[in-house]
Amino acid sequence: MAAAGSVKAALQVAEVLETIVSCCVGPDGRQVLYTKPTGEVLLSRDGGRLLEALHLQHPIARMIVACVSSHLKKTGDGAKTFIIFLCHLLRGLHEVTDKEKDSLISENIQTHGRHWKNCCQWKFISQALLTFQTQILDYIMDQYLSRHFLSIFSLSAKERTLCRSSLELLLEAYFCGRVGRNNRKFISQLMCDYFFKCMSCKSGVEVFELVDSCFAELNVGVTGLPVSDSRVIAGLVLQRDFSVYCPADGDIRIVIVTETIQPLLSASGSEFILSSEAQFQTSQFWIMERTKAIMKHLLSQNVKLLLSTVKQPDLVIYYAELNGISVVECLSSEVVSLIQRIIGLSSFVLPQSFSQCEISNTALVKFCKPLILRSKRYVHLGLISPCPFIPHCIVLCGPVQGLVEQHENALHGAFKMLRQLFKDLNLNYVAQANDQNDTSSPLIYKNTREGNQLPEIGNGSIQRLYQDTVVKNKDELEKTQTYLKAYSNLIVSNVELEACILTPKLTPTDTFQRNETPMCLSPEKNRVIDYNEPIIESNSTTNSTTENTRIEISYGSLQVTKIAGKGSMLPVRDKSVDSCTSQSYCSSSMPAGCVLPVGGNFEILLHYYLLNYAKKCQQSEQTMVSIIANALLGIPQILYKSKKGNSFPQIYIRALHALQSNQPVVSGQTGLESVTVKYQLLTSVLQCLAKILTIDLVINIKRQPVKVYDQDSEDEL
Amino acid sequence: MSRLEAKKSSLCKSEPLTSERVRATLCVLKGIITSCYGPSGRLKQLHNGLGGYVCTTSQSSALLGNLSVTHPILKILTTSIQNHVSCFSDCGLFTAILCCNLIENIQRIGLTPTTVIKLNKQLLSLCTNYLKSQACGCRISVDFSSTQILLCLVRSILTSKPACMLTRKEVDHISALILKAFLLTIPENSEDRIILGKSIIVPLKGQRVIDSTVLPGILIEISEVQLMKILPIKKSSALRVALFHVSLSGDLSDTGEGTVVVSYGVSLENAILDQLLNLGRQLVSDHVDLVLCQKVIHPSLKQFLSRHHVIAIDRVGVTLMEPLTKVTGTHPIGSLGSISPSSYGSVKDLCSAKFGSKHFFHLIPHETTICSLLLCNRSDTAWDELKLTCQTALHVLQLTIKEPWVLLGGGCTETHLAAYIRHKTHNEPESILKDNGCTQMELQLIAEAFCSALESLAGSLEHDGGEILIDMKYGHFWSIQADSLSVVNWPDLLSQCGCGLYNSQEELSWSFLRSTHHPFAPQTCLPHEAVGSVSRLTVDCLTAKLSGLQVAVETANLILDLSYVIEDKN
Repeated sequence: MAAAGSVKAALQVAEVLETIVSCCVGPDGRQVLYTKPTGEVLLSRDGGRLLEALHLQHPIARMIVACVSSHLKKTGDGAKTFIIFLCHLLRGLHEVTDKEKDSLISENIQTHGRHWKNCCQWKFISQALLTFQTQILDYIMDQYLSRHFLSIFSLSAKERTLCRSSLELLLEAYFCGRVGRNNRKFISQLMCDYFFKCMSCKSGVEVFELVDSCFAELNVGVTGLPVSDSRVIAGLVLQRDFSVYCPADGDIRIVIVTETIQPLLSASGSEFILSSEAQFQTSQFWIMERTKAIMKHLLSQNVKLLLSTVKQPDLVIYYAELNGISVVECLSSEVVSLIQRIIGLSSFVLPQSFSQCEISNTALVKFCKPLILRSKRYVHLGLISPCPFIPHCIVLCGPVQGLVEQHENALHGAFKMLRQLFKDLNLNYVAQANDQNDTSSPLIYKNTREGNQLPEIGNGSIQRLYQDTVVKNKDELEKTQTYLKAYSNLIVSNVELEACILTPKLTPTDTFQRNETPMCLSPEKNRVIDYNEPIIESNSTTNSTTENTRIEISYGSLQVTKIAGKGSMLPVRDKSVDSCTSQSYCSSSMPAGCVLPVGGNFEILLHYYLLNYAKKCQQSEQTMVSIIANALLGIPQILYKSKKGNSFPQIYIRALHALQSNQPVVSGQTGLESVTVKYQLLTSVLQCLAKILTIDLVINIKRQPVKVYDQDSEDEL
Repeated sequence: MSRLEAKKSSLCKSEPLTSERVRATLCVLKGIITSCYGPSGRLKQLHNGLGGYVCTTSQSSALLGNLSVTHPILKILTTSIQNHVSCFSDCGLFTAILCCNLIENIQRIGLTPTTVIKLNKQLLSLCTNYLKSQACGCRISVDFSSTQILLCLVRSILTSKPACMLTRKEVDHISALILKAFLLTIPENSEDRIILGKSIIVPLKGQRVIDSTVLPGILIEISEVQLMKILPIKKSSALRVALFHVSLSGDLSDTGEGTVVVSYGVSLENAILDQLLNLGRQLVSDHVDLVLCQKVIHPSLKQFLSRHHVIAIDRVGVTLMEPLTKVTGTHPIGSLGSISPSSYGSVKDLCSAKFGSKHFFHLIPHETTICSLLLCNRSDTAWDELKLTCQTALHVLQLTIKEPWVLLGGGCTETHLAAYIRHKTHNEPESILKDNGCTQMELQLIAEAFCSALESLAGSLEHDGGEILIDMKYGHFWSIQADSLSVVNWPDLLSQCGCGLYNSQEELSWSFLRSTHHPFAPQTCLPHEAVGSVSRLTVDCLTAKLSGLQVAVETANLILDLSYVIEDKN
């Protein structure tokens, strides 16, 4: 059986998925209940989980689901938007080709031939999509959209700090799409609390990585209690009970063991020969004495807690109790590795002799006590952490397991999202100005990208200096642009030098040369023509630096009024973003922490700029760009579907007016969303669409496709 | 290799609550639960049709644990109730009925889930704030200097479980026992933190309920033969106890992953037996009088010990280990070698006792918080029900110590709360709505659904066709028999309200609960002296009921919010 892979088939699939998914999207989305084959009942609003739970059989649907889950693995957000956007794109393509088909029919080509011709056309479109994604999209993001970005950090003189109110706005918007309506505020507050309790002042992205990878160990689910009983507690909760608990005060040292402390008669792979009864008795006696000695030794080192990955024999438990050492057994390797990561403690190796008095592998803990949650006992450990992560645990309560798991997944996803947000995102787009500039300057100015990773002192100074130069240059700016370029580049290099002096940590420039291969590689002629335009565009942006700053000021004043009105702090615009836009030809990355207000702001903005861009394009490209631009509107359309006051057309027209008259776009909703995640979503969808379009035939076979093995593995078989 | 099979697609249904099948099954479940509620609730007999054990019950934990529901929505509902019960033991049926009522009532209105959930949450917080506030008119603070309220609490729990098959006299006896058992678990000289002990329920089926009793210390059941063997020891001072958690049977413990080669003629059994006898000698020389072992004691060692007038009891079991450690003050011994003297404990006295046909060793402690509740009932299923009820009562008493308040029972809290919410939403809707974007009309609709859910919950206490009234002063629950409706003079028919706090001789006016009546403000602030004069009150645990209320509303919100059900058919 073979079926023609076509936009129509894909559209049908996507539309079915869209109807399911659009019920759960946005603040008014509802829950979906799903059962596992084991009979477990789970709740979810997570698009990825829904799609997986459906166990779809249609090949295209399965491909879409695979694309969604690989996207989710990276970002932890946006599965539902993915489907909606994809569906709208397919719809747009379908409409366009429908029109063309009429003309094709009039030409009276045979149906079979038409199919193949269509396929060629699809392939062409799919390639065009990829070029759009790698070149035009990044260009638009960088050139136009970036001036609207807000930053989640409030940038003070020396360091970027995260203010709680903006994080709250961000998280609340995130949980709107993830958890039930009645718990969203509570969960986002909980997450906020957890976040600020875990973070010390110097912690950064590595904390997100730690929490992301060990999240299962950092939360405890309790069923049967109302959700409002959930809380954050200091320290680590191990999901085990004490085998022996001896209350202890003062210095509590812990050791981690991965084997039984009591020596065994025969080790693995060896043979123990018993030749007499007396020998057996003495060996038993020796075992006992040795165990006793080890426990005594541990006590002498002030060890009060033994964490073991294996079950310890009765003898060990007995001597532990006699010596006042608490024991926790059968810990999972994940928990142990988490503890080791937090306090940097390696596991305890049994000493061969006690000549060395000091056990090096011990660590100090603040407390260790039993914790009772709903008549189940846990071990509560107060670790002293030298690393930037201050250990805290979340106790998640809920009436049913399904709800607890939903909240756990939502919190985990939120950490994934923050992890993405706190990273700089490199855009493929590199401003073309450097191609025409003198050869020496590009190498140097690329370093400004590194400014984002620089310690903040360096970054600040660059900004200040650069702003000075902008002011200085302003007069000359109007006269000769080429001259200006060279001049400002020189200044940038000066600044760069200064930065080098200030911060000796700077990595050598040559590594950056290798990393940054310019992406403008397409050899086509019309491309080159296209390139000329952006340059002019960017130049004009440089010219209007003053204008830009003026807009900034007006925006700032608007924020102030908002503060007065709502009593909530809106994030201050990121200065570095401003400087990026005003520099116009040297920025090719999105700095960490870029956000936009929720409610389809990103989509409307991108739509607007894409349409503007499309006007300058050639015919074929124009249709494609406008299809994408229009598909973007699908998301805000759904978001505003059931709103009483502001329907989508009103919002849309208001936003367009604001953009045309260069005024800030005001969003009706509070809350922020990460630009990085949105951007990644867009690229993932475009890649998925390109993949769908390249398939011309779906062939159903009866057995598993034979895997192509390497030569080596075949030998093994 | 396991057989590979392609996964079947899941079944996806939209708007599950609108389906007729779901409504019907929800209705059946509600019917089952509602008919069990209260002292006059009907019993359910659960059996599997293939013979074997039959369970007669009216308790939610036994009922829901044995029912197997298939629809995912019902699964969510029942697991939610079961989780609540496993946390608080009490108020399972209350939660279940309220949840079903809410779903049913709100569905009939047909507002969007967004509005419903928002308003439900507002109303819930209104309820919880009221129940926690000082002004609450249906809350009594517990006076620990007298047993009155605590006895009422236990008695209310016992009477609400008709499957225990207790007479009034037996209820009094058992509730006194439960309270006594609970009081025995409270340590006498408490420091800053009280750690409650444990009451162990010892089964004694086939005896009269009146024969049930409470004893301080631990009862260990032994066979009659065993008892004969053990010579009575007479000793004036306390007995020295050794408690082993390692097996004394002489088996070889874990030898490691490698191989152990034993030469011909070497008997490990003898070697270990020697070790055991050495241990026995040490015990004797340490003047131990009683040896208890979680696992098995080797017969030779037993014989050796009894020859030296040491009592040895083995196979105690892991459940008794912790109470035994507490009672005797020992460290459980895990070594066959030298025993440190600090691991021995002691008991005040030891005697054998016979209850019914069973023989027990009774360990009498010096002073501990462990007691044994010897529970008798005539039949197996009635005993199981009684045991569950006793556990519930003990747990509820523990919860009451943490939060020393009780709520009025017998339906009065529900009707009072409904009257309070009606009044609040009618008179000050602005304070509830604040600025959450809902209209007053929507609030009125939801509040009506919420209140009638509470009222029909109270109404389901009546199973004999009687009629329910509410008084217009306190908002309490009154019921009259079905055949006397024609009589006009209500004060003569009504004796007292559901909880027993008020009687009909007061100047009160009544109205039918199901009829529409004008919202009125129920009297808040319960006067303390009003409580003291009444000896038989029906009261409920505040903690359990409050949490039940929250869980019911949360679960109802959850179910109302469902837009799809995806069933995995694999």
